[in-house]
Amino acid sequence: MSASSAVTDEPTIEIGPGRTTRSVRSSRRGRPPKRSAVSDSTAIGRNKWIPYLFSAPSIIMVSLILAYPVIWGIVQSFFRRELGGATEFVGVQNYVEMFSDPSFWDALGKTGIFVFGCLALTLVLGLVFAFALNRALGALRFLRAITIAPYIVSSVAAAVMFRILFNGDFGLINRVLMFFGLDGLPWLSDPTLAMVVVIFAQTWSDLPLVILLLLAGLQAIDKSYLEAALVDGASPFQRARHITIPLLSPQIAISMIWTSYSTLTGLGVVLALTGGGPLRGTQILPIEMYQTAFISFQQNQALAIGTFILVLNALLTLIYLRVSRGYGVED
Amino acid sequence: MNRNTLRRARHVTETESIVTAEQRRGWGRPAPTVTRKRTPVEVVRRATITTLIVMPLLVLVVWTAAPFFVTVVASLQTRGEVFANPGILPASPSFDAYVQVFQSPTFWSSLGNSVIVGAGTTVLTIAIAVPTAYAFARFNFRGRGFLLLFTLLPRLVPNLALMVPLYRLAVETGAIDKLFTLILVYTGMTLPLAVFLLVGFYQKIPVDVEEAASVDGANLWQRLRFIVMPLSVPALITIGVLAFREAWNEFTLVLVLMTSASNRTLPFELYTQQGLEGIPNYPTQAALALLTVIPFVIVYMRIERYVVQGITAGSGK
Repeated sequence: MSASSAVTDEPTIEIGPGRTTRSVRSSRRGRPPKRSAVSDSTAIGRNKWIPYLFSAPSIIMVSLILAYPVIWGIVQSFFRRELGGATEFVGVQNYVEMFSDPSFWDALGKTGIFVFGCLALTLVLGLVFAFALNRALGALRFLRAITIAPYIVSSVAAAVMFRILFNGDFGLINRVLMFFGLDGLPWLSDPTLAMVVVIFAQTWSDLPLVILLLLAGLQAIDKSYLEAALVDGASPFQRARHITIPLLSPQIAISMIWTSYSTLTGLGVVLALTGGGPLRGTQILPIEMYQTAFISFQQNQALAIGTFILVLNALLTLIYLRVSRGYGVED
Repeated sequence: MNRNTLRRARHVTETESIVTAEQRRGWGRPAPTVTRKRTPVEVVRRATITTLIVMPLLVLVVWTAAPFFVTVVASLQTRGEVFANPGILPASPSFDAYVQVFQSPTFWSSLGNSVIVGAGTTVLTIAIAVPTAYAFARFNFRGRGFLLLFTLLPRLVPNLALMVPLYRLAVETGAIDKLFTLILVYTGMTLPLAVFLLVGFYQKIPVDVEEAASVDGANLWQRLRFIVMPLSVPALITIGVLAFREAWNEFTLVLVLMTSASNRTLPFELYTQQGLEGIPNYPTQAALALLTVIPFVIVYMRIERYVVQGITAGSGK
């Protein structure tokens, strides 16, 4: 799933034993190629215990911090612990209660709007900006530096920035609206408008990655396809529709997978910007999960929501991969 | 597009052949260089193309810069001015908000914590990722493929799925509310990506260099120290930036793992500042938000390349 590119020099990894120049050369000389990634004359890469010793810290850390807690969380979603009491197995009861809770369905609907809004906005802006940056070769370095600026801003700082930008009393957005003779809008105190604001804030945070990905994809496209199409008299729209977009579909798919992953599991921006309000207007599933776990302190029930989000995320990823494969081979 | 294409293609070849025939006839003179006047259609088309490229770039700059801009402006005003000032720029810029932030003791403690956690995460990530990546890139051992996958795949785990489990496990093991827990957690979260980047990098370093050193009697430690490490400085910077950014900006896990006020990092501190007063103190919030970005801004143009590498590598999940 990694795209190699001119702008980024993204590394690729051979999962199998890598063949180095050395072993290729030795096989050319008629000797049978060694299976080893490394030398045939010295002890490099031969030691039996060193690789296990070297990789052990990473494996322990990853198991301890990532793998074990996630599996523990999924298992615990089938248990329940009353305050101060013992943990007992309750089967799917947490899930039954979750699915019969109207506030869960409400949050799921909000999540749908949020994820879809972010996806649409990210994809449209990402494509437009990437196409434009692809043509802006002279100023590319400067513009790229500006493009990735949001990446260094934490979700809480982004939330502060957007609360000031969209402030109902003095925000720049309302000042601009009033400049054009329109009425200022109560962006953060209206449930529907607040959703618009959190979509913008989340997209603002996520867009740098998508732009860079799409730009890398665009720069990797073989120019001869476009030239051939130009000779054939294809219009710019036709070239985009039949050549650029299909060739870009792996990057588009990755962008969509990444954006929905980031928005479906993204808590920081929304929590710091609206906290789920006003009137549950931006109460997406991660917020619901956070509040269930740390406000109502029903942590096992929260783990059921968390597991549901993980499953939803996996399903979305599979769908994108399938769709993009279908679209990519069409032309 | 077929018939139009054919017609246009024929038209192009015909005109070209006429031109060349005329030029070949030439009468010994060089072909006249006439700057053809652009037809109105062409002028319009060129203008459209330029607009189509320049307009989105302008929008991009405004899109990215506007939140920064309004925050800077708000941070240079006083609490009342923010509401009263009808203009877009501050009427009488003042640094009161920054002074207020600097006078708050929790700012300094959270800044200190952020520095400790950021530096700790960076150092620990590099210390663990380098030997691991070296093992995966240079050695052929039983279970290599599986172990590599096992190290890289947890990259897919979102922070959200870790909040409750890590909180509960930290409470049970007594690791809650300790800065070292944060360092461990952030290191674990950065490791898959760091190993991924480094393995790719080490695989590009020719083995021959190390072999030559080995023939000269360099042992494994010496080869790592004097050959592999110096050669991989760019990759190490990228990983350092990634790890530091993760530790510096992460919010959801520090929110549940640190319980006492003296152990907050900057994002947590900024978050708690929001709900303290009835009417939010926008200038100090803005100033604090900008101060959290400062370490990156100082070295921004220098690290931009590494940040770009880090971002795009992050998507190779």
